[in-house]
Parts: sequence; C-alpha cells; structure tokens
Amino acid sequence: MSQPIRVLVAKPGLDGHDRGALVIAQGLRDQGMEVIYTGLRQTPTEIVMTALQEDVACIGLSSLSGAHMELFSAVVQLLRQQKADDILVIGGGVIPAEDVEALKAAGIAEVFTPGTRIEEVAQFIRRHVRLDVLPQDKLPPLVLGLDHIGIAVTRIDEVLPLYTGLLGLSVTHQESIADQGVKTAFVPLGAMEIELLEPMVADGPVAKFLHKHGPGVHHIAFAVADINTAIRTAQAAGFRLVDEQAKPGGRDKQIAFLHPKDTSGVLIEFCQRTDKERGVQES
Amino acid sequence: MISDAVVDEEGNHLTLEKQGDLWENNSRNFAEKHPERQKIFHTSSNIEIKRLYVPKDGVQTEQDYLDKLGFPGEFPYTRGIQPTMYRGKFWTMRQYAGFGSAQQTNQRFKYLLEQGQTGLSTAFDLPTQIGYDADHPMAAGEVGRVGVSVSSLEDMEILFDQIPLDKVSTSMTINAPAAVLLAMYLVVAEKQGVPWEKVSGTIQNDILKEYVARGTYIFPPKPSMRLITDTFSFCAQQVPHWNTISISGYHIREAGSTAVQELAFTLANAIAYVQAALDKGLTVNEFAPRLSFFFNAHNHFFEEVAKFRAARRMWSKIMKERFGATHPKALQLRFHTQTAGSTLTAQQPDNNVVRVTVQAMAAVIGGTQSLHTNARDEALALPTEASARTALRTQQVLAHESGIADTIDPLAGSYYVEALTDALEQEAWKYIDYIDHLGGAVTAIEQGYMQQEIHKAAYETQRAIEQRDLVVVGVNQFTVDQESQPDLLRVDPNLGKLQTQRLAKLRTERALAPWRSALDELERGAQGEDNLMPLIVNAVRSYATVGEICNTLRGVFGEYRPVVF
Repeated sequence: MSQPIRVLVAKPGLDGHDRGALVIAQGLRDQGMEVIYTGLRQTPTEIVMTALQEDVACIGLSSLSGAHMELFSAVVQLLRQQKADDILVIGGGVIPAEDVEALKAAGIAEVFTPGTRIEEVAQFIRRHVRLDVLPQDKLPPLVLGLDHIGIAVTRIDEVLPLYTGLLGLSVTHQESIADQGVKTAFVPLGAMEIELLEPMVADGPVAKFLHKHGPGVHHIAFAVADINTAIRTAQAAGFRLVDEQAKPGGRDKQIAFLHPKDTSGVLIEFCQRTDKERGVQES
Repeated sequence: MISDAVVDEEGNHLTLEKQGDLWENNSRNFAEKHPERQKIFHTSSNIEIKRLYVPKDGVQTEQDYLDKLGFPGEFPYTRGIQPTMYRGKFWTMRQYAGFGSAQQTNQRFKYLLEQGQTGLSTAFDLPTQIGYDADHPMAAGEVGRVGVSVSSLEDMEILFDQIPLDKVSTSMTINAPAAVLLAMYLVVAEKQGVPWEKVSGTIQNDILKEYVARGTYIFPPKPSMRLITDTFSFCAQQVPHWNTISISGYHIREAGSTAVQELAFTLANAIAYVQAALDKGLTVNEFAPRLSFFFNAHNHFFEEVAKFRAARRMWSKIMKERFGATHPKALQLRFHTQTAGSTLTAQQPDNNVVRVTVQAMAAVIGGTQSLHTNARDEALALPTEASARTALRTQQVLAHESGIADTIDPLAGSYYVEALTDALEQEAWKYIDYIDHLGGAVTAIEQGYMQQEIHKAAYETQRAIEQRDLVVVGVNQFTVDQESQPDLLRVDPNLGKLQTQRLAKLRTERALAPWRSALDELERGAQGEDNLMPLIVNAVRSYATVGEICNTLRGVFGEYRPVVF
C-alpha cells in the first residue's frame, strides 16, 4: 500500500481561531491523509521549516485575521528560496474574493473559504499534489498482473468466429450481470482472459460505450490481491473512482473502476478473484 | 367542568393525562403513515425535541414555580435580574468596533454614538491582544487588522479623544494584557478630569477561555490568574463601577461547542475565577458583584432562550450554595450577548441580516443586559460603516417596533421552553461535576478536556452540514451560481509601517528615567506578591508600551506553551 499524502495544516500569524484548521485536519485524516497540525502563532519561517522536516506534500494555511496577503505569500516565497516550491500550498479563512485572485497569482494553488466541503479540499490536494513527492520507490507494486481485457461488442455471436475460429480459443464461461446490464463471455488466454461484453439494456454502461465509440477495447483489468486496499490506495494517490466501493463482477470477482479522466482515457478496472478463481489463474 | 371532554366507555371524563396519552397514540399512528421531516428532532446539544409539550413538561406546582423561576430581580433570577427589565430601559446596544489606527476607530466610535448606540465596545488588533507592539516582528501583517492597534497611552488618548468617559461605558475585548489596557483607560479618564469612581465599563479579562478557544494567551495559567484577581481587588477598591471580567462562553461556542458545553464550560471557568479570588483572601460579596458574563446567541431560537434562563438560575445557585454569597448582585448573572459570528455565511451575505435578527431576538427574550448584532459582511471582512449601521438598526427595530421588550421573560411558562431550560441545566451540571472531578477548570483545560469536547462537537457539525443533515441556506441548499460581492472595508496595509514610525518617535521623546524606574518596579512587583495594578498604572503613565510592560512580565512569568492535541 502506498504512503498516504502528508499535509501540514498551519496557522500563520497571531490569529487564534483554529476551529477551521482543526476540522480540516481531522477531515483530511478521515480522507486517508497524514496530517500534522502546527498549533497557533507560527511565523512563515517556522511553517516552512516544519514542512521540510516533515517532508509534506502539501501545506494548508488558515487565517481569519485579514493578514493572509502578507503571511500566505511569505510562505510561498520562503518555499521558493528553499527550492521546495514543489510543495502544494493551499489556504483558507475569511478571505474576500478579490484577494483570492491575488493569492493565486502569488502562488497559492487554491483558496477554500467557509462552506467548502472537506471532500472538495481532499480531492483538490489529491489532484494537484506532486506524486513524486511520495516515496514511491519503496513501495511494492499494487497489481499482480493483467487479469483481463474487456472488449465491447454489439453481439457476442458475431465475434465468436474471430476468437474461437481464427484464433482457435474457446469460451469457458458465459454470464449475465444484471446489475451492469451486460452479458459476458470469457475467453482464456494463458494466465489472463479476454472478456467479451454485450449490452443487455439500452442505457447500461456498455450500451453507452458502443453508442459513443462503436465496438472496441472497453477496459483493461489488473488483478489485485485485495480490492479494498487497491481502492484506498488509488484514492489516496489522487485518482477518482467510478466505484468507491468494490462491486461484484462476473464469476464472484470483486471489481472497481478508476475514473478514465484520471487515467488518460483508459478505463482501468481493479479485479480481485476469489480463492477458487485465483487457483485457476495460477494453474 | 370541561364541557367537551373525551369520555370513557362508562361516561367518565378522561383526565388530561389520559387524553394526552390518547393524542400521543393518534399522532404516532399518523406519523407512521405520513412520516415527519426527520426521524428524531434535536437541539444543537442533542437534546431530543418532542412532538408536543404539555403541562406536565412545564412548571408543575406553585412550589415548583417558586423554586425554579421565582420573580424578576429575585432568586433564582431565572426570569431576569431586574424587577422591571426592558420596561425600565432597553438593553445596552453595544456594537463591537475597532480597526486600523486609533484615529480611525475614534471616528467609528463617534459615528456609532451619533447613530444611537448606547455603549462602546473596543476591538483591539491581535498584536495588542497578545502583548506585542506594532513594531514587533510577530506583528507583521496583523497591525490594525481585527481591531485597533494600541501600543501606548498615546494611542489610547487618541482612541477616546472627545468621548466623555464619565458618560459612556466602554467594554474592551482584552484578556492577557487586560490589566494594561484598563490602566491606560483609567489614565485617559484621569486626563479628562473624570474620577475613577465615575468610570464604567468592562474588560474581558477571561484568560481561561483563551486557552480553550480564542488563543490570545501570553502567560501560563497561574500568573494569569494572579493578574485577574489583582484587577478584581484593585477595582473593588478604586473603580467600583468597572466590570472586572466578562466570563465568556461566546468564543467557546464559536469554536464549535454545543449550547450545553457553552453554558457548562463558562460556568466552570467562572467557578475557577471565584475560587482563585477566594484563595487570594478576597471577600465574595465584594468582588462577585462585578463579575459579568458574555454569551453567544446562536441559531436554535428556543434552546438559546432556555440557555440564558438556565445560566441565570445555575449561577445564583453556585454563588449561594457553593460560595455562600449573600449580596444580591453577587447572585445575579449579568451578561452581554453577541450573535453567532460563525453562523454568518460568505454566500448571499444579505441572508445574514435575517439570521442576526432571529439570534438577537433570542438574546432579548433571554434577558440580556447588552447586545452586539453582527453585520452582514462579517464572513468576508470587518464591517463597513453601512453594514455596521444596519446591524445597529436591527436592535433598534427589535427594541422600538417589535414589542418583544414590553413584558418580562415572555416565554416563561411555555411547556417547551421550561422543559428545555431544565434539560440544559441538567446536562450542564453533568459537565460541571465532571470538571470538578478532574480538579477544576484549570486542570481540565491543561489536560485539553474542554478543547477536545468542543472539537468533537465542531467536527460533528461539519459532518452534519456536509451530509445535509443540517441545512445552511445559501451554502448547502438554495445556492446561487453568481454571488454578488459587497463592498468591503479594507484596512490600510501600510498601517504597520506608520505605527512603527510613531512608536520610534515616542520612544525617543518620552522621559527615560521615570519609564525605566516604572518598569523596574513592575518587574520587582511581579517577582513578589503585591497587587500589580498600581505598578502597571504607573508604567502606563510613563508611556511604557503594551509590549514593554508585557515583556517585563514575560521575563518573570514565562509564556504559555499550549499542548497540541
């Protein structure tokens, strides 16, 4: 499992209102991040030093006293001096709209004012934090291998001559997954499979895909040891998910899709096979 | 004889209780078929609200009435602390104001007085509140931002220029250096020729809630408590009309507490102050009449009214039973109220005027002695002159047009309000008992107990808003795409520089010998046990600055280091 994103929540200046900072700190923790809170009355220098020592990927600054222009900008400038401006800096507090633009120009990536959902803040951090700040080299790979390639077809019957005829493969399993409005046929290919997907309903995801793109490669699925770990890890690393909870795929598999907007247009599925199925895969 | 009473099978009239049970059943059946908006209704403090309140929920017998409510101006003061309340005179309309330089704030003060405000309330900037002069490095960016910058007596003279201190009462939101600012105020009065016996006003002087919720502490608890009890005893002798402390639940609530926590933690802190004064050898009937309180008026209208009533009843019991006070004024909980700043939204700011009106009504119906109504733009910046005027007008409309001030404690006897008053009191006692068990408020704060309870409640509120269990109009429902931006007050960003220049001039022009000896005497006094107030007054007279006086004390007392939880 990858390291969670490390965030420093900091109170620059003399402002003592830390309700927002504390709530955000806990909220981001609940979103799977590792949060360090500085406490009150930090100078910009102290904040930058803490950020460097703690090796954070993001600094969240909070001020309700009106001193944000001076103090937030000072933090960004000090980070530049320390050649640490790859750290994402965001801010929040009592900040008028016209100051938001000025703060962004000064290098504050985003300003979140009262009424913002914590989820939004977390999502912003995940999307904008530089992933190479995460110590990824130490991590074991998340996926075990390629599980299958999903191919959207108008009718399974129509493509069987290709797969079972020309390529000489065989269909080992057919199944209708009512939940997704799709009929599937599995064509094993060594340790992996090809999954043929035929729409059963007009408004299901495969039907929509066909309508938009015509027949073709629909998704690729990676085998994972634990679907929930894979989901949480992807979330913590800033990827949006189509499925935030694992759902049943064909043949008792547990599956979840990543959002293609975050994966360069490729629909990626995580797929955890049951023990029985995994035995099949390993044989 | 009840003419249309329900009768049973034998033709006997059903008692009220039986009829109530019948209604209860019927309404439950109805609600099963037509579900209510929520499964459970509850107040901010998680007190469950029943579908209907009936006589048995309210005050029962005559004895019950006398024990729980009594009469206005009489123990236990549930119905109010004065015999005529607002029929005599309205509450003091006291708008918190201060920004930029002493000169700018003096202008705003005069404007508010011209508009019919009846008392002043001074907001100081953060450097002043934390005992730094405007030229201190920690003051960078903060000078004049959230209040007026006051570094020396010279600033204080400008701040109250042409404001007669024998006629206007002034509240000052100042805590850690409260003794210093009070000394400055007294010296200004002296220079105006106003004797201290004629000066009236309030210093907030409530350090415990600074550790809990507001953050402008300087010294550790023990010397801080000494400064506070020094002001109690000094004022009891020399400034008899001064409120020496304003024990504040306001900021506890703003930090996210429930109404019950606000009530309980404020009274727990108050108990700690009274105990500290008694430990110093002060006499309860002498200092306690000058204790005052400061509460928040939040959104839940009935719970807020009940909170104010419960607070009065609880305080009179604490003072009488726990501390043996007998002076009526020592038993009366006098309080200032401010509407809840944290309920204001940056979105659709005009909606805030409506929120403030409802909150202000709760404060008035709850029997407040003075009131600040927030301005509609305060989720964005300090109020402009125009928005500050509307805020004041809100109080004037309530006072002069709504009629809510024409009888005393108008919601008394409401089955619901009496039941809520009892419930709030009961829940608050539980907290106070637990804090006693921990060893009192100071220990509970040092252990982070209050802070963590408040944070839990704050996080719950945030979750409820995000899940839309709590609707915030204009924020998580009824939103608009295009927000219009109101004109905002801007504080001159060069003020820090200007104040620094003025301070440099003051430091070269003031007479050095008296200044040096005043600070030396203060240092020696701090090392000993004597009352520090006269020494601070002396230092102020020599134009020693807030920063210099606080640094002298820092040298002896040290600084508070909060635990981060």
